[in-house]
Amino acid sequence: MGEGSELIDKIRAKARELLQGGRVDCFIGYEEGSRGRARPAFIYDPQDAERLIWDERCAHNLVVYLHQFKSPLRRGEEPPRVGILVKPCDSRSLNILFREEQIERERVYVVGVTCDGVRTNGRPQERCRRCAERVPLVYDIVMGGVPNVLGRDDYADVAKLEQMSPRERLAFWAKEFDRCIRCYACRQACPACYCFECVAEQLDPAWMGIAIDLPQKQFFHAMRAYHLAGRCSGCSACEEACPMGIPLSLLNRKVAREVEALFGYKAGQDAETPPPLATFKKEEQLPM
Amino acid sequence: MQVTTREHLTAWLDGLAGHMTLIAPKTVEQRVLYRPVADSSEIAFDFARTDLPVKEHFLPPTDVLLSIEKGKEGVRLEEPSLEGERTVFGLRPCDARALRVLDALFLKEPADPYYAERREKTTLVGLACREMGEQCFCTSLGLAPDEAGDVDVMLTEMEEGGGEGEKGRGGEGRRRYAVQVMTEKGEAILGALNLDKVEGAMPVAAVGSKTPVLEAGEWPRLFERAYWARLADRCLSCRLCTYVCPTCRCFDVRDYEVPCEGASSGGASNGSAPGGHIERLRAWDSCMAEGYRRIAGGHNPRLTKGDRLRNRFYCKFCYYPQDYGPIACVGCGRCIAMCPVNVDVVEVLADVATL
Amino acid sequence: MTTDYEPRIVGFLCRWCSYPGADLAGTSRLTYPPALRTIRVPCSGRVDPLFVLKAFQEGADGVMVLGCHPGDCHYMEGNYHARRRYALMHRLLEYIGIEKERLLVAWVSAAEGRRFAQVTTEFTAQVQELGPWGRGGEGETRRGGEWGREVS
Repeated sequence: MGEGSELIDKIRAKARELLQGGRVDCFIGYEEGSRGRARPAFIYDPQDAERLIWDERCAHNLVVYLHQFKSPLRRGEEPPRVGILVKPCDSRSLNILFREEQIERERVYVVGVTCDGVRTNGRPQERCRRCAERVPLVYDIVMGGVPNVLGRDDYADVAKLEQMSPRERLAFWAKEFDRCIRCYACRQACPACYCFECVAEQLDPAWMGIAIDLPQKQFFHAMRAYHLAGRCSGCSACEEACPMGIPLSLLNRKVAREVEALFGYKAGQDAETPPPLATFKKEEQLPM
Repeated sequence: MQVTTREHLTAWLDGLAGHMTLIAPKTVEQRVLYRPVADSSEIAFDFARTDLPVKEHFLPPTDVLLSIEKGKEGVRLEEPSLEGERTVFGLRPCDARALRVLDALFLKEPADPYYAERREKTTLVGLACREMGEQCFCTSLGLAPDEAGDVDVMLTEMEEGGGEGEKGRGGEGRRRYAVQVMTEKGEAILGALNLDKVEGAMPVAAVGSKTPVLEAGEWPRLFERAYWARLADRCLSCRLCTYVCPTCRCFDVRDYEVPCEGASSGGASNGSAPGGHIERLRAWDSCMAEGYRRIAGGHNPRLTKGDRLRNRFYCKFCYYPQDYGPIACVGCGRCIAMCPVNVDVVEVLADVATL
Repeated sequence: MTTDYEPRIVGFLCRWCSYPGADLAGTSRLTYPPALRTIRVPCSGRVDPLFVLKAFQEGADGVMVLGCHPGDCHYMEGNYHARRRYALMHRLLEYIGIEKERLLVAWVSAAEGRRFAQVTTEFTAQVQELGPWGRGGEGETRRGGEWGREVS
């Protein structure tokens, strides 16, 4: 992907430059993990920029970490400025956060990188097959070669589910959610899930019970899918984080598709267009 | 030593399933989980490690502790009781050791009656590992992949002589297991299992290298190090590691009102007391959740991810052994396999040894 | 799926239009099935889609969200937002296995007592036909497993 080690050197040099020049207090990228995995890296010292890597194992959506840099690192200071490496899918998440005014554009230095797809244990991820955007949508600088592969989401798996009867679908989701352990890895990995206190954990009012049973799990996943309507970038961080292999993108992409069909809106394309559920058109006729 | 074949084993298991609950590894949508099975055909015999530990059958994700009903006669409290005996089959030594680790807390006086009853009514039939998995590190914690001391009966798969590698039903049926009876409970359950006596040595599991584990007393001096905050930078603060861990055990308890069964059940109202009853539920909770340690008034002693992640390791390797005896980790490697951001306990232990 | 049961319907009625409309149905002595449990909210825009999910989870077989006609909202815009939300909510519900016919979103003004009775009657009949979803029905809102037995 890209120019290999030359690209990695460029990324490292950029991170080093940003940190040395005081342009950022921390650079978020990827580093070599244990057992042949890549993992998110947080570089505070220019010398540590050597740790940064970039290859097809770099699947995580790093935008989720911007939320922890909203507060000052030390009392009395300004919130830190952060450099971040983003893939095209991650850049959509970034646009969404800019649009929702969660992160100030000036506080983030975005190093975009073109992408031909990521892999898990050598296996190409499904979402990359469906991806039509190979160049980040927002960046201060973009690196990497001209991408080779262009995917397409034909929503075939969503359509298959749509063709079932409601009862069959209920049984399908019951079977999938049976394995769910309410670990919230999906929620925590998602850049768009940033509520201080999630509805699922609120005690007053208690939307959900503490039970890890089917009714609560159905509620949680339906609720989260709805809360992501018009806000989900399709990065599949949720599905990749899930320890039980629950096909969450099957749920979130359905909602995204309906949002596009009903309101003509695709999340993350820019940071200006108002979110569809925060706006309306007086004359619109919607199927009720 | 005594041996049996897969064929005899399945027949015996079918017999067991006939008169008690049999819990065994089962494939559920590309995951292997300990689940109740109706007969041996549902059992996944060839698995490395289940994705969720057996603790879910001793400390269920959701447990009803009490039912409180207000009726004409006054207030009635009812505690549920486990119906009948159970056997867990295919228990790996690490999961079995994890039960001992949980015993140190839950069976300590005053014992947790729900856990205690489950432990008492369950016979453990273990399945030794032939080798250690890529993420396993049980030997670093004084355990062994073929440790038989924590189960009632231990089965160990034998090497296939001649290496014919027979697949297919006939071949599978002839696979042999060494059988070690470890306790009276184990003896009692063996019953009709067909056993042969053979000469030979018990198979010994292949072990990997060990990782240093710092003694409990050495951890406090590292508490203030910046290492923990740096490690936690990438932590997502989900609950995954604690839920897939065989020794993690924190829970939350809340009461819920259950309205009486109404007329929606496809028939007339069943005439039970109007107003329903209240259930006291116990459910898994996790120290990794941000709000776990938040107290009334809003103060949170573990506000940052660094605080919480540090606590997780200290709880396992320092506090628990100091309070209850065993280290609260059995080296199963599930957290390593499943953490989305590669927080690797083996790596942490290696780092901590040199901090 | 049995249709011989008493449906439970939860209705979120807005304080300015649909609730007085229901009131008018009452004072006009119009009849409609007693399956409806009403909850008055200030505006249909107040109705969080989570209310709908929660209603189903707590045992409702059908849910109604009634508001002012578009353009007549007392708070100017509430029902426009509701309109968008529920257009989407129908599709999500359908996808997770709750038939979209179990959620009714309609506009009923304070003068439309007759319309309220008619809408409620028709919706109740529809939900009756669909069968129960809450307690005892397909929704399995009652936690699975018998008393004393574990939930796995």
